[in-house]
Amino acid sequence: MAAHLSLRHLLKYFDTQKAVDDISLEIEKGQIFGLLGPNGAGKTTLIRMITGIFYPDQGEIYFEGKKFNPIKDVARIGYMPEERGLYKKMKVGEQALYLAQLKGLSKSEAKGKIENWFGRFGMESWWDKKVEDLSKGMGQKLQFVTTVLHDPSLIILDEPFSGLDPVNSNLIKDEIFRLAKEGATIIFSTHRMEQVEEICNHIALVNKGKKILDGTVQETRQQHKQNVFQIEGEGLLKIDRASAPFTVLKEAEHAFTIQRKEGLSNNALLQYLINEGVIIHSFLEKLPSLNEIFIRLVEDSPATRTFEH
Amino acid sequence: MKKTWIIIQREYLTRVRKRTFVLSTLLFPLLYVGLIFGVGAITESSKEILKIAVIDSSGYFSKQALEIENKLDESSSLSLATLNSPAKNPSEEEGFDGYVIIPNLQWQKGIDSLALNTFKSYGRASTAAVESKLNRIWQRVLNDSLQIDENKQAILAQSHIGLKSRNVNDEQIDSQFADSIGYVAGFLIYFILLIYGSQVMMGVMEEKTNRIAEVLVSSVRPFQMMLGKIVGVGAVALTQFGIWIAFIFLAYNFGKENGTSMGGMAETVGYVQKIFTSVNMPIIISFFVFYFLGGFFFYASLYGAIGSAVNEDMREAQSLSFPITMLVIISFVMMTAASTNPTGPIAVWGSIIPFSSPIVMMVRIPYGIPGTVPYWQLALSMSMLIIGFIVTVWFAGKIYRTGILMYGKKITWKEMIKWGFKKN
Repeated sequence: MAAHLSLRHLLKYFDTQKAVDDISLEIEKGQIFGLLGPNGAGKTTLIRMITGIFYPDQGEIYFEGKKFNPIKDVARIGYMPEERGLYKKMKVGEQALYLAQLKGLSKSEAKGKIENWFGRFGMESWWDKKVEDLSKGMGQKLQFVTTVLHDPSLIILDEPFSGLDPVNSNLIKDEIFRLAKEGATIIFSTHRMEQVEEICNHIALVNKGKKILDGTVQETRQQHKQNVFQIEGEGLLKIDRASAPFTVLKEAEHAFTIQRKEGLSNNALLQYLINEGVIIHSFLEKLPSLNEIFIRLVEDSPATRTFEH
Repeated sequence: MKKTWIIIQREYLTRVRKRTFVLSTLLFPLLYVGLIFGVGAITESSKEILKIAVIDSSGYFSKQALEIENKLDESSSLSLATLNSPAKNPSEEEGFDGYVIIPNLQWQKGIDSLALNTFKSYGRASTAAVESKLNRIWQRVLNDSLQIDENKQAILAQSHIGLKSRNVNDEQIDSQFADSIGYVAGFLIYFILLIYGSQVMMGVMEEKTNRIAEVLVSSVRPFQMMLGKIVGVGAVALTQFGIWIAFIFLAYNFGKENGTSMGGMAETVGYVQKIFTSVNMPIIISFFVFYFLGGFFFYASLYGAIGSAVNEDMREAQSLSFPITMLVIISFVMMTAASTNPTGPIAVWGSIIPFSSPIVMMVRIPYGIPGTVPYWQLALSMSMLIIGFIVTVWFAGKIYRTGILMYGKKITWKEMIKWGFKKN
């Protein structure tokens, strides 16, 4: 099956800077795709090309198997930008109607869908309230509703949880899962790695305009593991450190955190410990968190991103 | 196109439903009328009745002559005074505001001017009453001395021949009315360009600072956003304008029916009627709408582009929009020149160049087509304006799409022009 959204060698320059430098991505239908990267990495530019706000200087976008047509396809996309807002003086209901109509819904169609969503989020009584009278969290909920109102097949959420309390965060999170289950593809952009680990099944990391990582969350953590193990047992302190095939990172009487030397298998390590007379209670390989991987990769990547002819 | 229409509706409805719109629509005519009557009333009330002592050595300004005049005209009071010896001029304590000393003169020779000595300073409106009264007395003295009776006086009163200009190519025009109608039309366009142009700018700034612009651009093209706003705000201006015109017609018809019972009203109604019949009103209104719309698109798109380029800072917006506001003001100055000489070079070129034509052409059109404005000038002016606003709207659209998504950077005119020429 062809990917829902396919980016092929996208390139976008601003003056002498390469904001997006040859990025290719395949995003499958129903996937929750984490698009990660530090500030100024080119995420927003990339998203703006996907939403038809910018045209790529080079490369192609395929959406639902066909070449991306910004004017027609934006009706199938819902985008919640990081820098977002609403008309302050407008009433909540009118605001939602207006944005839905701009996405191509008829007035009556939009009204039905809004009532449905407002009911689901307990927002029925808000209809005649002015947006400026809403709290920040309420505003974010309204913003989410207006993003997904027109049943887009591709939903792009940039920092969707900022300004939300844990209760409302969970509400939105559940909606994201539900929408994905119903077949919508979701691109989720954030700096908050614990949210990515929790929500996304596939991630890509962008830095300085280039893609430096692309894979599922599990694969990525496996690939970037540092051979660190947490071992609990008795007799750990008696091991001769100098000859051991690992270095000790952290120690307590019954719990060690160690880093295994290269070239040794997990079983061989376990064998070694048994031979040394350690009575093992637990043996756990510690995979790096996405946060650690993120920081390591971003810090390691070279700092050159200038325009070359 | 459908989306642009949805935007136009929103821009229009949110503005028309605002209380400020209702208030400004009602208050502006009231304020305007109030201003006219207010100025008149203030001038009237600041006029003082001067009490002037006349010290006469000629014998022509007798007590009797002065009393007759005082009875006829109460806007000043003259009384004969004799000089006490030793010579002492009349003073404030005696209740006088001033005095005039008339030397011993002969009626055959007359005198160029006299001095009005006052204890305070008085305006021209107050002193003119004294002047005209003295002149009437002097006139009577001359008439009597020359033995000019009332019949002869009536004949002499016809000595002045007036000169009224009439354009042989356009019989209908009465230049006096053409002048004032053109001035009002030009002024209204000037006023609307400034007020509503900056409304477009503020609207764009609002969208940018609210961060809704970024949400909208994923649904509609930036150009549609800008166009929708300009058309929507323009429609608000036209609505306001239509209401004012309807008011005038209502007041006029009401006045026509009830006018005879109210003296002052009848005069006004007669004046308005004369204006309506002396110029071709439908043609003027049609051109007004054309030049208003053309000028509005021309300027509003530029104001919109500036709104897109600035951040929250109002001062930044003011300094960037200053050159554009200057263009409008220069056009207004050109219009003033054009209204005194509607066929002069400033009038002709000012009404052809797109940036000033909406304002300048409006003072020329009431003078008549093709008498004052030849067809070729009109055609050139109209097509230049259409080309002009298409270029500015297109150019502003390009600035807009870059500016609306740019935050935190202070923008200069140079950068904006660069955006305008950028591809894509």
